[in-house]
Amino acid sequence: MKRRVVITACSAITPIGYAKDDIINSLRQGISGVKPLRDDGLLNKHIHSRVFGSVDYPIDYGFKRMYSKTMGPVAYYACQVAKDVLERSGLDQEFITGGRLGVAFGSTHGSPTVQRDIYRTFFQELDTKFSSIGAVDYLRSMVHTTAVNITRMFGITGRVIASSTACTTSSQAIGFGYEMVKYGMQDAMICGGADEYDTTTVAVFDNLLACSTAYNETPKRTPRPFDSGRDGLVVGEGGGAVLLEEYESAKRRGAPIIAEVIGFACNNNGGDLILPNLQGITTTLRLALKDAEITPEDVDFVSAHATATKMGDVIESQAIAAVYGDNGPFVTGLKSYMGHTMGTCGVIETILTTYMMEQGFIAPTLNLENIDERCRMLRHVQEITPATIGIGAIQNFAFGGVNTCLLVKSGERLKVEG
Amino acid sequence: MTRDALQEKILAILIEDFEFEKPGLNDNLRDDHGFDSIDAIELLGKIELILGYSLTWEEKEKAMGIRTINDILDYIETIEASRRLKTED
Repeated sequence: MKRRVVITACSAITPIGYAKDDIINSLRQGISGVKPLRDDGLLNKHIHSRVFGSVDYPIDYGFKRMYSKTMGPVAYYACQVAKDVLERSGLDQEFITGGRLGVAFGSTHGSPTVQRDIYRTFFQELDTKFSSIGAVDYLRSMVHTTAVNITRMFGITGRVIASSTACTTSSQAIGFGYEMVKYGMQDAMICGGADEYDTTTVAVFDNLLACSTAYNETPKRTPRPFDSGRDGLVVGEGGGAVLLEEYESAKRRGAPIIAEVIGFACNNNGGDLILPNLQGITTTLRLALKDAEITPEDVDFVSAHATATKMGDVIESQAIAAVYGDNGPFVTGLKSYMGHTMGTCGVIETILTTYMMEQGFIAPTLNLENIDERCRMLRHVQEITPATIGIGAIQNFAFGGVNTCLLVKSGERLKVEG
Repeated sequence: MTRDALQEKILAILIEDFEFEKPGLNDNLRDDHGFDSIDAIELLGKIELILGYSLTWEEKEKAMGIRTINDILDYIETIEASRRLKTED
């Protein structure tokens, strides 16, 4: 059994806004969410990269303590966007709790803030042997904390998939959720990811010389995907969720259909855990097209992973060129607006792609002024471009050699096709 | 510590840390305030801080019978008395 799968609700907390209108405005106006790195009282002074994709606006969560007691900051983001999509979905309580709705949600590594508090006890003089590690610390920090805090808050009893594959965490969540619904294991899935403010992640990339350091005094000028002046990625924070539903039942109940997920692929490079791999990435892109049963010519837009590292962007450009050839789809690196939101990037980039589909424009890659010679073969978007995106590809690649590609068809196109 | 002083401390913890609204001494912790097993373990950690020493496994097990705020106060007083007796022995 193969069923069609549609996105019927979405929500994203991003460094360039939370409300849909704010995010679209940021994309249209070229507003960056990259800000100076905030002091965390721990690693801040040792890190060379002084920039971060920051969620620096207040969010009115309103979670009761009975739920919030098991939540670290990462679960706040996750539960907030999950709450949004459930509210917007119009799904009734019986369905939400009935076992046919599942959750595919993850984060890079649970809650580093809570983990830090736990580790702190290791270095204290515990003469009194108090129970310094609280009963809920594990629940707040564990790697599947986002997924199960969502199930707990909304009484969801279906399947739980808690992907945790760094930068492909939420693209895998959407992909695995899509497969759950497509093959009839579940009728709907809340899919996404979240990652909280965390300087340990910055420190990791900083030590690998992969973080941007040349624009510390002008944060908005970095990251610079595909630009010859790029000097690395900028870590960011945020959360995002999409609700996937089986197409026929969504249509029957009159749910607004934002987009259809028509294809997904995920593979591994089978070797190095850090270096980007042309063959692995190229294979993923082709497998996604095969899964969707479409040709490269059908794709109008590529949301590139484009972290703005020196080699990553070049390898990705080569992969896109190999799959799509000359005069291929428009290409934008959406991380240029907000940095790399780690486990969240796949779902945020999917949601932003659906916003642009609906609005009929493609946002340019911010800070792309002088295209790197080695990336020049693509159809880069350097200014706001009115365009109809019928089908978009969202590409993400992660440490560990994991690659994903999601293919989504616009809701507008579906209306035309009937 | 007098029972009144202890009561004041426990009520402050329940209101501030556990977000109890208008706690009554004989309210059922679970039914009236949504106090669950996770909360019970958290509260034991806070009781250890009040007492200034770690509770033993056996002492913690005795806390499983707590149903009301009065039970919490009785529990703490019993632990204190028991420890005093052991010290005197």
